[in-house]
Formats: sequence, structure tokens, C-alpha cells
Amino acid sequence: MIPAQFDYLAPTTVDEALAALAEHGDEAKILAGGQSLLPVLRMRLNAPEVVIDLGRIPELRGVRDDGDHLVIGAMTRHADVLRDPMVAEHATLLQRAVTHLADEQIRHRGTFGGALAHADPAGDVGAPALALGCEMVIAGRDGTRTVAADDFFVDLFETAVGEDEILTAVRVPKHTGWGAHYEKFVRVAHQWPIVAVAAAVRVEGGTIADARVGLTNMGSTPLRARAVEDALRGQPATEDAVREAASRAAEGTNPPSDLNGDSDYRSHLATVLTRRAVLAAAGG
Amino acid sequence: MELRHSFTVPLDIEATWAHFGDIAALAACFPGAVVTDVEGDTFRGTVKVKLGPIALQYAGSGTFVDKDDDAHRFVVEAKGKDKRGNGTAGATVTLAMTAAGESTDVQVDTDLAITGKPAQFGRGVMQDVSDKLLGQFVSCLEQRLGASEPAAPEGSAEPEEPASPDSSAPDGPPPAPPPAPAAARTAPPPSSPAPRPAPAAAGADDSLDLGATVLPVLLRTYGPRLAAVLGLVALLVVVRRMLR
Repeated sequence: MIPAQFDYLAPTTVDEALAALAEHGDEAKILAGGQSLLPVLRMRLNAPEVVIDLGRIPELRGVRDDGDHLVIGAMTRHADVLRDPMVAEHATLLQRAVTHLADEQIRHRGTFGGALAHADPAGDVGAPALALGCEMVIAGRDGTRTVAADDFFVDLFETAVGEDEILTAVRVPKHTGWGAHYEKFVRVAHQWPIVAVAAAVRVEGGTIADARVGLTNMGSTPLRARAVEDALRGQPATEDAVREAASRAAEGTNPPSDLNGDSDYRSHLATVLTRRAVLAAAGG
Repeated sequence: MELRHSFTVPLDIEATWAHFGDIAALAACFPGAVVTDVEGDTFRGTVKVKLGPIALQYAGSGTFVDKDDDAHRFVVEAKGKDKRGNGTAGATVTLAMTAAGESTDVQVDTDLAITGKPAQFGRGVMQDVSDKLLGQFVSCLEQRLGASEPAAPEGSAEPEEPASPDSSAPDGPPPAPPPAPAAARTAPPPSSPAPRPAPAAAGADDSLDLGATVLPVLLRTYGPRLAAVLGLVALLVVVRRMLR
């Protein structure tokens, strides 16, 4: 289908984009990579009067080193995150998760920040961003604020980004030397995960010194499996120990039931996938 | 597709039933919908819904097919059609009240039939959204009823406690315990950037913003709303699967 008519704005700075957003308010939609917005427009599930394209704002693109953090511009494409050597070294978990995100074409159009701001609970970037304790940099008319990933995901498709604000960058604490793995369960290749688990572990002399585990599609937002993290710390990186800790993966979650599987099924999947993800992260 | 919700209202059953019949008093609590026309047991209205990137308007109608004052139970059949013709939804909503001491348990069963594009999508964020919707409705209701009833807890008290909406698929497991981390589903987000409107706020054409705060809209009848909103919302919600 053809989208309803809209005006197209392509600002070249964040300030211009914010001004356009302020001017058009509720009638405007922000376009990042367009991999979620464009289908919605084409199916006429939304008909904004104005689309503000962030694609021509150079300052929103790219990955840079900022001491103990990496800073990933919100408009950095998934494919660029995937290929970036700094991400591979210091935020391996992000790289692993993006590897499995949708398909090659979507990874070349879709953006890291766009996916986070879209906040689909089945999206592949939320759980690893949460697990790594990323900080979201949000620009508004009154300046820039930083929101911890824990506070960023509010609900289904809802984030801390206000109506008049734009997510501009993600600050990723370096997890250099951590093993990482993203275990995603799908029935159809390239689809949304039924459940996925993002795990990063730091192993010292065969013992799990620290662990971060994030869950995809186990609730209205990405979730952190803190019970598993606590249970893993100090344990040997063996299958039995990991299995025991992973059995707590569904604690405190409220997974949806649908045609792909009911809530119980997802809870079980979470424990299995967590075990696999942690073992792969610890071994790898 | 069947959805079940239940909640508790801190009033005895007769008062609660009266309230659910007292249309205007409850109207402001139900977000997003506008009843444009009431004729006997039939009503017409629209629902505007925003969910993430989606913003849609549905027009619908509903009829009280059964209303039993003695059993404290009513059944509403509602139909909705997307204004752009993307699909239709039909819902049969059964609301039943049972006395529970000083308070009243209310159970809402919704049976949905969906056609058109949204029907292609299986994943039900529907339950999430209808939970959230009903949760907001109940919180508002609880505040208002509490405020009008001296014996009831203070209106401004934490609404989660007495009126925790709790739900599960009918064939599913018993309701899960409230999520401890990231309790985005049951608790109002503390860091929500937008100010939550006062429950009494009313506007004629506010949209039901499922992704953020829900703006209450003054409506004319209560029961219809429950049917119309749950039914129509469900339509939109299923649509989510098409977003990639």
C-alpha cells in the first residue's frame, strides 16, 4: 500500500530536528532507519502529517571511544555496529545480538538507536543493552540528559524518551575480556525471537567472577535476570552450576502467551536458553 | 480469542452495580473512547488508539444483549471497524460481579473475533495492553469510588493494593506473581516523562495512548466502553506483528 500523504523534513542537526519536533508535536513522527515506521505507514496504521528523517544528521552516526565507555550514535546502522572492531572487543554482547537481528537488508537500514527507541519487547537490542548497563543519551529543547537502561524501558513500545525528545546516543560501558553470547529461539529464520537471552560473563580461573543476563520477549520490556546473575557469581563455569543458576531465569518475569507459545513454555525456554547462552559465553 | 480480567472494587455489590449503571460518574475513567450516540441498549462510538508507531481510529457500536440486575451481570456485544478499512473486530464482553465482604469482585470475560490484516498476527501483546488498560481504568475507578465513599481508603492511596488487576488466559496458568524487576506492567512507571493526567480530566477528542499515559475521556455509558475499548483495542494490538 501507499502511505497517506505527509510532509518530509530532513534536518541536518539535532537542534533542527528538535525544533521541527517542537513545531509539529503530535503530528510528527521521527524516522530513523524506517524498518518499523515505514511498514506502519504503508499499511496506513499511522498517518502523521510530518515525518522527520534523522538520516542526514552526521553527528548521530558512528561509534567512538570515550575512555571506559563506547559511544554509539543512535543512527548507527546495525550493520555498522556489527562490523565495528571496538564493539567486537569491548561490547561483544552487542555484536553477538546484532548478528541475529532480523536479516541482512534490515541490518543495513535499521539503526541501533531506532530499535531501542521503538522498544519492541521482542527486539534484539534491548536485552543486551540492558544487560551491559548502557546509558541512553536523550536530547531535548532544554539540553541533554542521560537515562540508565534500567529506567529507559518503561512499557510496551514505551521508553523514557519524551514526545519532544530524541535519543541521540548510547553509552556502553566497556566489558573488555568478557565472554558473550546471544541465544535466540525462533521458528522462522530472521523472525522476532519467541524468547532470547543475552549473556555476558567474566570468567577468572574457571570461576564466574561476574555475569550479566538480559531476557528478550519475557515481558512488556526487556528484562534483566538478576536472580541468575546473583546465582552465577562465584560459581564454577561448569554445566551443572550454570544449569542450576539458569533455572531461575524466569523469576519475576511475566511472559506473554500467544500462538508461538504460552507463558509456561516461554518460562521454560528462558531457563534452557539462559543455560546455553551462559555456557557459550563462558566457554567462548 | 478469549481474555479474562478481574479486579476488586472497594464498595459493596449494590453500590458497585449502581456505579456501573451510573454512566456519567464512571465515564471519565475509561480512556480513549468517545460515545457519540446512545439509543436504548445500543450505543455508537469511536476509539482512538496509539501504540508505539501505530495510531488508529476505530468506529464501533455495541448492544447490551443481556442485563441482569439481580445477578449483577451484563453482556455486551460490540463491533468495531477501522476507519481506513484495515479490518474489523467483534467482541462479546461478559461482566459479572460477586460480593466479597465489603468489596466487590468484578470479572470481565472478553471473547474476540478479528478479521483483516490484524488477524494475521498471532502474538498477543493484546493481553499486555488490555491488562494495562484495565489496570488504569480500575485505578481511576478505585480512586473515584474511594473518594465518594467515606469508609473506603483514601482516594490518593496507592491504587495497586486494593485494586490490583490480575489476569490470565482462561486456559493458561494461574496469574503469575507480580514481576519484581522492571515491574512495568503493574506499577505506574515512576520515571514516566509525561505527567499523568488527573483521573477526572476529560477531553472530547483525546486519543487512547497505550504507549504513554492514557487520557481519560468523558463518556456516556460505562458498560459499552468496557466492551468497545477492550474489543477495539485488541484489534490494534494484534497488529504489532507486522511491524518488522
